[in-house]
Amino acid sequence: MEKLRTPKNIFVQGPISPIKIANSIANHATKTDIGGHSIFLGQVRADEKDGGTVRAIAYTAYEEMALQKAFEIREAVFSKYPLTCMHIYHSLGEVKTGEICLFVFTSSKHRKAAMQACEELVERIKAELPIWGKELVDNDTSVWKENT
Amino acid sequence: MVLTIKVFGKISEEIDQMEFSIENPGNVSALIEKLQAQFPQIQELKYAIAINHQLAKPSEDIPDGAEVALLPPFSGG
Repeated sequence: MEKLRTPKNIFVQGPISPIKIANSIANHATKTDIGGHSIFLGQVRADEKDGGTVRAIAYTAYEEMALQKAFEIREAVFSKYPLTCMHIYHSLGEVKTGEICLFVFTSSKHRKAAMQACEELVERIKAELPIWGKELVDNDTSVWKENT
Repeated sequence: MVLTIKVFGKISEEIDQMEFSIENPGNVSALIEKLQAQFPQIQELKYAIAINHQLAKPSEDIPDGAEVALLPPFSGG
């Protein structure tokens, strides 16, 4: 019987730790039908702003809608590509420059499905999830981030 | 009937509220008109409106009791 999938929490308070990412990779060692993983990590960049440099991004979200939308995207990408696994994590709250704020992880029998699905997920997450980043600048000002 | 509107990101900062109540004007374009009058500071800002967690078109009716939200452009990731 096919497993009924329901919305999962994608949010992590604060940065996504490298240990969480390493553990997530390790957890797939028993799934021996996987032949390729694709991982995207979004990192907070120290952009130059008027009068200062970005020191962190504070993320907020319309959580209920974001989780519903993430679920719809997950289902659409699962039905488009032959994937074994898919994991999505996004930070909420403050994430300092150099820290990880987005972790997308896809696994498949063969590399192409994993890579294409990962790219599509990242693009859709950035375009469709109601999440907002406020760049905190080191001169105590802030700028609402705009995705390019 | 009164609607509760959730507000996020820059819009929430501009109007200094996370949530407010407004009489349901019937549909999305009427709501936008009402918001522009009540909050002149957001007239120039871009935002979408969600009804019950789905993005709504201007012609869409707003059912009483719906969860309505003002969403500035997304900037996750």
